[in-house]
Parts: sequence; C-alpha cells; structure tokens
Amino acid sequence: MKKQSKRFTIVALLLTAVLALSACVGVAPADGGMATDDSMEEEGGYVVGVSNTLVGNGWREQMICAIKAEATASGLVDSVIVVNRNGGPTEQIADLEGLISQGVDAIILNPTDREGLNAVIEAAIAQGIVVVAVDQAVTAEGAYVATNDQTAYAQLGAEWLFEQLGGAGKVVEMRGIDGVPADTDRHNGFMAALENYPDIEVVASTFTGWDPSTGAQQALDLITTQEIDGIWTSGIDYPVVEQFQVADVDYVPIVGADNNGFVEQLINLAGDGLVGAAVTNPPAIGAVGMSIALDALTGNNPPHETILTPKVFTTADVDGLTGIYAPDEQVGWSTYVDIEPYTHYNGSADVSACAAPGE
Amino acid sequence: MISAVRSAGAVVWSRGLARHSWTVGVWLLLSVLLVWYATLIPVFGQFQVTSISKNSLPLVYLAIGQAIIVIAGGIDLSLGGLLLLSNALAARFMEDQPFAMVLLVALLLIAGLALLNALVGYVISISGVPDIVVTLATGYIWSGIALWVLPSPGGGTAPEFRWLFTGAESGIGGTYVMPILMMLVPALVVFFLSRQTRIGLAIYAIGSDDTAARLAGLDVRRAKMASYAIGGALAALAGLATVALTGTGDPRFSVGANATLNSVAAVVLGGIALVGGTGLVLGAVAAGVILIMLNPILSAMGIDPNNAQIIQGLLIAGVMMVGGLVTLLRERSA
Repeated sequence: MKKQSKRFTIVALLLTAVLALSACVGVAPADGGMATDDSMEEEGGYVVGVSNTLVGNGWREQMICAIKAEATASGLVDSVIVVNRNGGPTEQIADLEGLISQGVDAIILNPTDREGLNAVIEAAIAQGIVVVAVDQAVTAEGAYVATNDQTAYAQLGAEWLFEQLGGAGKVVEMRGIDGVPADTDRHNGFMAALENYPDIEVVASTFTGWDPSTGAQQALDLITTQEIDGIWTSGIDYPVVEQFQVADVDYVPIVGADNNGFVEQLINLAGDGLVGAAVTNPPAIGAVGMSIALDALTGNNPPHETILTPKVFTTADVDGLTGIYAPDEQVGWSTYVDIEPYTHYNGSADVSACAAPGE
Repeated sequence: MISAVRSAGAVVWSRGLARHSWTVGVWLLLSVLLVWYATLIPVFGQFQVTSISKNSLPLVYLAIGQAIIVIAGGIDLSLGGLLLLSNALAARFMEDQPFAMVLLVALLLIAGLALLNALVGYVISISGVPDIVVTLATGYIWSGIALWVLPSPGGGTAPEFRWLFTGAESGIGGTYVMPILMMLVPALVVFFLSRQTRIGLAIYAIGSDDTAARLAGLDVRRAKMASYAIGGALAALAGLATVALTGTGDPRFSVGANATLNSVAAVVLGGIALVGGTGLVLGAVAAGVILIMLNPILSAMGIDPNNAQIIQGLLIAGVMMVGGLVTLLRERSA
C-alpha cells in the first residue's frame, strides 16, 4: 500500500513539474497582457485581435505586418493579438471565440468562409466588438468588409494589354488556382475586358497555382513554342519575364501584380524593350481594415463596405513605378503599401519592420 | 500462501493504479489548464466553457476512436479521411432538410462508416498488411471521395442539429449542457464497452498479445473488426460535429490530415501506449480537450503564434518523457 502511494506521489509531482515548467514559459507575456486592461476606458489603448488561417504565405504575412504597422502608426492601439494557424472554418471559429474571450475591442480577420463564420462574428458584434473582414467578404450583419476588387484587377490589366496590342493579337491568360474565389473573379474580369476586343485571341490559358516555378515553366513552354503577342498573369509575373531572358526571345507586353521583382524589371528592362503594367493587389488591405476598425471604435462611422479599386502602374509612367519600388525588399514583396487615406505608416520599411505596438 | 496472493494482488493493483494514475493525471492537467486559462482572460463563464467543450468535440471523438483501435494493437491513419467523408456527405445531404431527415442521415453515416471501417479491419486482419499501410491508403481514398461528394466548401445542416452539438441553433452562444453531454455520452459508452463487455476485454487482449489471445480461444479477427468499427463510428460522429460547429462542409485534405495527427497525439498524451493493450479511453478524452485548449491559452499568454506550435510539440514530448520516466521508476522498484 505504502509503495503504491509513493508511486502515485511521484506521478503527481512530475505532472506538477511539467505544469510549473510550462507556466514559466508564459509568465512574462502574461504580465504584458494584463497591463492592457486598465487603459481601455477612454479613447485609445485598444486591443485588437487578428485571425488568419494560412501560415507561411508571403502575401498573408505582409497583410499581418501591415495591420501591426498601422496599429503602431495610429497611436491608438495598445496591443495586437495575432492568432495565426493553418485551418478552416472550424479552427477559425475557435480562434475567434478565443479572441472574444480575451476581451479584444476589435477583430480583423481574413475569413475562411463567406457564411460559416457569421454566427460567431455576430456574437462578437453583440458584445460590442468591432469586426472587420479583410481580403475576402463575409455576409454577417454589422460586420465591416474591406476587399480588393479582384474583377477590376483582371479587367484593368487586360484592357491595358489589349489597348497596347492595338486591339488585335494573340494573348495568354495565366491564371491562379482553379475554383478559388479570387481566381474566378479575376477570370470574369478578364472575360469582361475581352468582350470589347473581338480581334484579341486567347491562344492559351494556364493555371500557375500562384507558384513561381510552375508559372515559369509554363511561360517558357509557351514563348518557345508559340507565337504570342502579350501575356496576362494573375500575379506570377517576374518569373515569366525571366523566361524571356532565359530563352532569348523578344519581350511582349506583360501584365502582372505589384510584386517588387516585377516592378524592378519594369524599371530596369524598359530600355531593353520590356513593356508592362503592374496592377495592385495590396496585402495592405489589412492596414485598411485596421484603419476602419479604429474609425468605428472612435465613433467615426466608416462605411460597412470598402472595395479598393486596383491601381495600374505602367512602363509609360516610370516615376510611378520608382515611387512604389522598394529596393530593400524581396522580389515577392507587394510594393503598393501606402493606401490613402487609410494608412498612416511610412512605406515598405515600416510594414517590413512588422512591429506591433510595444514590440 | 496469503502473502503470495497478496503480492499477486498488489501487482494487479499497481498495474491498474499506474494506468489509472495517468488518466487521473491527464484530467488533473486539464483542470489546472482550465483554472489557469480562467485567470488569463478577463471573464470566464458560460461562453468560454461552451466554446471549449463544443470546439473539442471533433478531436475528442476522433481520439476516442483512435484510442480503441490503438488499444487493440492497431493504428488508423484514415480517421481524418473518414471525418472528411462524413463531413462532406452530411453537409451535402443535410442541406435544407427537416430535422428528422437530418437525424436519419446522421445515423446512417455513423452506421455506414462503422461498417466501412470494420471492413478495413477485416482486410487488415486477413491480408496481414500492417495497419499503418492499409489505413494510410484508405485515408487517401476517403479524402478523395469526400472531395468528389463536395468539391468545394458548402452544404449545410438543420439548426436543431447544430443545437444538438453546440447548444445553440446558430452554433454559438448556447449553454454548455449539450456539448458536454455530447462529449461524455459517447465517451462513457465506449469506455464501458471497452472495460465491461466481452468484446471490450477481447480488444484489450488482442492489443496486449494477439497470439496469446488466439490461443486463449478469443476471436481475434472479430475483436479487430469491432475496434475498427467503433473507430469508424466515432470518425463519423466527428464529421457530424464539424458540420454542426460550422454549419457547412469543408472537404479540404489538410483538415483530415491534421485531425488524424491530432488524434494520435491525443491518444499518446492520454496515456494509451502505441504498442496496444493498455490505457483508458477516458484519458484520450481529456487529452483531446487539452490539445484544443492549448491554442487559446498560448494566445492569451501573448505567445507568438509561430512559437505556439513548437510549445505544443514540446509539451507533448515533455509529458511523454515524464511518462517514460515513471514507467522506468516503476520497473526499477518492482
């Protein structure tokens, strides 16, 4: 009997040790979190939760950094709590409930589902929490939505390309991932532009999966085997330009996104005959969401729906391109970060620092 | 004579205690985590308890199913795939249906997937191919069929069905009575099935030593199939809970793959040795809830989300090492 109780004590002690050990890990941040509660009464001192469900994606990481940068620049936010893991609606509902439990003042989320999150979003709103869905929309009552206009993204770029070709020629449509809402919207925009140009022929349509190496291989195959007058891409742009150099083929007009590598090519290779347009799809939509959340918290009644129309930067406007080019950032960096009148940070450097208040 | 009986009794007792002490330990750990979480956040009440219990349901079901299969000496890497299949079929066929019809679909799914997985157990048993290989393959098949049934997120279910699992027809803001009942009832049913019935004891026996079990006259194949059938039924229940939680279906492969890994983690954390024959289903229940709770706790502690996964892994490794140490100490003193 004695022996057994001794063993039981060992087990109990060891479990306590594990608990104590894991408790140590959290002591410092827990204190930091507690301090925020007192200052919430008056304007400012807000705690903002962020929910994202795609980890390791460059665009999403930049979105989170833009949210943090705007929180810092606003001076109204005490802390930003980021809940970031791979998952679907099930995980995101749990994460949103966790943020509600933490007593945040506002939640910015990139939603995994248009309708599946509505109940939890509405529950948050019922508790006085401001909820802003960014990048993709939700249909929840009372939620704010800030998105990039994906249809216009394709339509504006395609129209520029078709004009550039004088309304006639053979073009390639390099899409993203089949079935993803953004890809569907963009394809619709592309087709809408095509309707007005009967002499434009789409000779090939590919799915790059938004993967640089896949897109590069497809582009190389296309430009070395077919006669092509122009290429529209859904954001896999600089790898395509590189294939022209690899294959030693003359450039054709090309449409891409505001990727740093592509913007750099448009500036540097203009002398070699590269003509192109960078259409913006800014992850800084996260910062726009933060700005809207703060407007709502401070009683400025922002509109519930904000749709950003993309900007088009072409090789005809070198100043515009150099204005957004960020020499210190990676090729995949989205260069269009300052979105007036929403953002208050100072360019790519601030976003790249990725520092929330107190970090 | 008396002392011999007593020492034999002591061995049985200490083995029993060792097993149960782990289960008790995991439940203790869960209680401590709950109290700790309550101190980390400004308000801890019905909303939080409901949230944790309902969000734990899919993993807890899967953990119970995995536990039974592991106790029987197997392992099922297809449970996540079965969850997806159940989820996709439920969301597809429950949409816009009356509650009675929805319940019928749910019961058919539970029975159907139990039969399907029993068949997998049968194949493993007669083919002699390791469980891990067969279920890895079937997992891909079930995930593929799920995508075929429901190509992209969508579908729906009846509000009453959502209430059944979440305590609210909208899936949020209900009381914790329903989610806790829905967690405990299947857990206790499987627990008593595994400890008090002939088939349950056979499951423990074949997991402990299937040759000995066969020589003792037990139907090894039947017990194997029973364990897989229970696993299939609980994976179906997990898929149904997912539909109830979100109100939609989500057939993405990663959801199933994550769920499978988490079910194995919960089983291990719950004190069920992967070699089979030991452990209690109830340990896996508490471990499942703990794994779900780690995320909000780490977030409330202000830990960088990128580090949260590392800490989650370290915690599992740490608890396992403590378990190993306890076993070692016990063997030394014995």
